[in-house]
Amino acid sequence: MEMNVIIAGEAGQGAFSVEMELTETLSRLNYHFFATKNYMSRIRGGHNYHIVRIADHPVHALSGGIWDMVVALDGETERRHRPDLREGGIYLSREMTAAVAETAKEAFGTVAASNSVLVGIILAVIGVSAEKSAEAAEPGRAEYVRKGFEFAAKWKLTAAVPVSAAAGVHRKFDGNQALALGAVLGGCQFVAGYPMTPATSILDYFVTLAQGLPLHFEQAEDEIAAINMVLGASYAGLRAMAATAGGGFALMQEAVSLAGMTETPVVIAVAQRPGPATGLPTRTEQADLAFVLNAGHGEFPRIIFAPGSIGEMIALSRKSFALADRYQIPVFILTDQYFADSVQIVEEEIPLQVDSRQYPEFDGTYLRYRLTDEGISPLTFPGLTAALVKLDSDEHDEEGKITEDRRMRVRMVDKRRGKRALFEKEAVMPTFHGDPGAGMVVLCWGSTKLIVQEAAERLTAQGTPVGVLHFGQVYPLTREMIAPFGLEGKKRICVENNAGGQFSRLLKSELDLGVDRLVLKYDGESFTVDELTRTLKGLLA
Amino acid sequence: MEAKSDIAWCPGCGNFAIRDVLEKLLPELPVPANRIVFTSGIGQAAKMPHYLKVNYFNGLHGRSLPLAVGIKLARPDLTVIAYSGDGCMYGEGGNHFIHTIRRQLDITILVSDNQVYALTKGQSSPTTDPGAINSLSPGGNRNLPFNPVALAIAMGAPFVARGFAGDKEHLTELIRQAILFRGTALVDILQPCVSFNKVNTYQWYRQRVVKLAKPATDRSAALQTAERWGEQIPIGVIYQDDAAECRAGAEIFRRGATAEEVACQIDMKCVMMR
Repeated sequence: MEMNVIIAGEAGQGAFSVEMELTETLSRLNYHFFATKNYMSRIRGGHNYHIVRIADHPVHALSGGIWDMVVALDGETERRHRPDLREGGIYLSREMTAAVAETAKEAFGTVAASNSVLVGIILAVIGVSAEKSAEAAEPGRAEYVRKGFEFAAKWKLTAAVPVSAAAGVHRKFDGNQALALGAVLGGCQFVAGYPMTPATSILDYFVTLAQGLPLHFEQAEDEIAAINMVLGASYAGLRAMAATAGGGFALMQEAVSLAGMTETPVVIAVAQRPGPATGLPTRTEQADLAFVLNAGHGEFPRIIFAPGSIGEMIALSRKSFALADRYQIPVFILTDQYFADSVQIVEEEIPLQVDSRQYPEFDGTYLRYRLTDEGISPLTFPGLTAALVKLDSDEHDEEGKITEDRRMRVRMVDKRRGKRALFEKEAVMPTFHGDPGAGMVVLCWGSTKLIVQEAAERLTAQGTPVGVLHFGQVYPLTREMIAPFGLEGKKRICVENNAGGQFSRLLKSELDLGVDRLVLKYDGESFTVDELTRTLKGLLA
Repeated sequence: MEAKSDIAWCPGCGNFAIRDVLEKLLPELPVPANRIVFTSGIGQAAKMPHYLKVNYFNGLHGRSLPLAVGIKLARPDLTVIAYSGDGCMYGEGGNHFIHTIRRQLDITILVSDNQVYALTKGQSSPTTDPGAINSLSPGGNRNLPFNPVALAIAMGAPFVARGFAGDKEHLTELIRQAILFRGTALVDILQPCVSFNKVNTYQWYRQRVVKLAKPATDRSAALQTAERWGEQIPIGVIYQDDAAECRAGAEIFRRGATAEEVACQIDMKCVMMR
């Protein structure tokens, strides 16, 4: 059983607060849920909506389609969302939510209490008892939630769509919280940033964690300053990260090249939103892959991750810092608004030990860019010993001094580029989901993972077996990464949240792997399970 | 030490004198060389750290200051000196110059100010005097000059000085005081460019510089001094506020968190611990 509820209204009317309070309470009540939001780039007015999928089994994707319950905070909701209410579904009209607000104001002296009353109504609908709901309520809001049960009883909604609580021990994260947590677990102690949707909440969560952990956040004057501060901190000895959206990353590009040249370890999180330019500031897209892949002038190696689940995000975000240090390169984490803003629970155990940097000691003969047999120059930091650490954005000799010597130039280029062969050996394998014998495989990357997987499960259950191969590492791609999956003999469909099929082009250029069909979406919204199931079914027919 | 032939500056360049000053001064400081970090940008002046016995991060054009901010925040134990020219600090890096002062960190900013873009062969810089004829302004520079000293004072920088590469003894004391000052310190150094600035020569500066007896501690008086330019150019510490706030960097280097601390924090049990 599951219940899909949509809470819709103008910005500032409380739909976001209802979502936050509901998911927090559902988590305390041990429910499986998946919540996401769809909002406009404004502070008040407009029309925003928040979707919460409550289930008695794990759910990790936007199902889409038909609502079991619609909560209308504005008039627009009637027109936009009521047509998608299932037959016999629950419609809390604008008049009903206005009555809730009126009562909340009268009973509790604040209209903000109505958010909690609405949470109480939704909890009543899924069959939670008033007592349990009150216990699980946010501090000081138990009475508000109980009031919701009175409304539910009056409107005969109690246990109208019963869903049982079946989640075990878990934690709740949105995608950006997972990214920031993974960074901290990877030993990241320094972030500098400039706010930009949908990356701001990475900074928010890092700052939250910094309240009790040895971390520092610095708000920079612009993205150029942010990434240079990050490189300064990394050079000085702290693992460090920059986090921004595509537009902010455009400003950071020159420093990506600086990191490549100076071999300064850095992790850069890019939260994608639709472009070009300002685009759709609060919507989702996967259209910055080609940009990140090519960002920065000159030739230097990089790794790009695009995790598709909370667990994978935490693990790869953590791993990024070890790789950045080991290979002294920029490592990228690509995410997007859909994943950034999706809240879900994780039952799997999250290892919480914190990785740390190595601080090797050298004497005064230390050379930052020493040419070594293994192909990597020893990395250390200023002020630890007599060793002086000299970095230069010009081509440099082993010591770090400017050089224009042609032979040295070639040796340094070869050293930097040669690191790719080393980190290719520890590439993160893509994950296969579904029937290995299926004749059709869907290739995807980043945030679409769990939507595609659920669509494939539905198709498989309907008698059409479909496999899913998801790439959490999108660059570099190696033959070894795809070898186990027998892709050559299968019909290959690539699903991407962009207009140009950027990943399919990468598969072609890096692996000479073509795809039979592209499924693309670039209207600013993510795929939904319903929609993708229909589209894939059409392609199979 | 480097043989002079290894250095990329023109014979007679004002930067040689500044290097002499630094080479003599740095070992005299109560901080070992391995704890001094220079950041620099791009241009002839930005090559300075290559010719000194220090740690350095020679970064990109205009970006020496955010590098310095990141280093100082990460490692308050290091003495951080940002060094570059007028084009780098005040042009490409102008926004960073403003905002670095706002951060109130213990960073020293040294600027070789030759009033011209030299490495790119003679274009107007932010500090070029109006009317000066340069390769991209053949009809004369039409922009008002950037006054780094006045701006720094106006922004609240607690130590603001102007030096002259033609007076090494005086410059040595200015830079010494700037580095030892606890807070953001600027020394704008008048540095003749013998190749591309035929107006603001050693001779031109020598005829104009006047040494200040002591710094103003009053901002409006200091601003009046900072505005003086032309027949007389004041050099020395123009403004100093020993009581100004100085923000400490983060004391987090080599301090890892335990899994328990992380669990406590993510489960929101001890959010307000610090």
